[in-house]
Amino acid sequence: MIAVVGACMSVALVAGDAGAFTVNITARNPRTIYLQVGVGTFTGGTYTAGGSPANNPTVNVVSVNVPAAQIGSGTAQAMTTNSTASQSLYDNFTFCNLPGQLYIGGFYRSTSNSGAATLIATSPANLINSTGNTIPFTQIRWTSSGNGDTGAQPFPAGAFVGGVQTIGSISRNQWAESCHSFSYSNSAVVAAGTYTGRVTYTLSVP
Amino acid sequence: MTTATRSLLASALVGLGVLAAPALVAAETFRVDDTATLPSETTALLRWRDFAPSGAAQETLEGSVAVAVRLNLTPVLNRTGRLYLVLPKQGTTPVRVSWATQGRLLPGEISPGLRTLVYQGPVTSPYLEETLALRIEADGNFLPGMQPLDFHFEFDAD
Repeated sequence: MIAVVGACMSVALVAGDAGAFTVNITARNPRTIYLQVGVGTFTGGTYTAGGSPANNPTVNVVSVNVPAAQIGSGTAQAMTTNSTASQSLYDNFTFCNLPGQLYIGGFYRSTSNSGAATLIATSPANLINSTGNTIPFTQIRWTSSGNGDTGAQPFPAGAFVGGVQTIGSISRNQWAESCHSFSYSNSAVVAAGTYTGRVTYTLSVP
Repeated sequence: MTTATRSLLASALVGLGVLAAPALVAAETFRVDDTATLPSETTALLRWRDFAPSGAAQETLEGSVAVAVRLNLTPVLNRTGRLYLVLPKQGTTPVRVSWATQGRLLPGEISPGLRTLVYQGPVTSPYLEETLALRIEADGNFLPGMQPLDFHFEFDAD
């Protein structure tokens, strides 16, 4: 019986000497974001068709021509966009209605639960014309919707503040999109001219 | 019973014990010496399977790495049994690992807490060499940093 015990001990020693091999895993791109305001680009088709997002430097314009008789009437003037993005690049679904709506969408990928991505807009205090006359940016507001949507929009209705403001957020590992319909409040009489100003949208992650 | 008879009987019992030894060893699981096994890269960089998330929450990370397996099977040489790849429970990230082989071991897949058969039959060589092409999938919701996956091999002798 002693021999049997010895054999068992021998097995135990083999087990103690054995090793293991380790493969470490980590995410190559733990965080990725994509933001599209107006037109955007996916190469290789839509996302659902296997496409990948790409840079698109286009700056779209949202504008309105206010008839002389309406200037300062207090009747809001609907604005239109030169954006051609009516379809979501997620799946080509016609999400926004042109030319009255501007597509705003994007996604946020993250492997850590450190919070949502935040979309902010930075607008100047005023729109300005060639002679230096101004219209407060606060005169421009928007409603938010999307074809087929029934719940709350990720980028809800609001008005520009003439500074930095939060437009909405994108939860981790989500695609979010809204269509904004802009209007000019037209509450003050201003000098004739073309007034312009640029809003910059920034998507940031924790 | 004389002293001599008792001695003979004791020797016979010892002999029976030795003969019975293989039956007892068969119940053992051998932890195989795989210290010479090396991954081609110490860290597998996983990519999002779908570049953008969808409403259906496609949140899988995936990647691959080759592992040059070299097993020291000397302790079970000339024995028959089953060889398993083992991935003990570890970490918090749900993972699934599948692999292809060059033919000496069986392809398969494994998740933490399980072991998968990779060979069954006689051990005719003290060393076994094989290359495993691992394909690793992890839940992107739970991989905030680096996570080690510690594998080893076990041999169940018949």
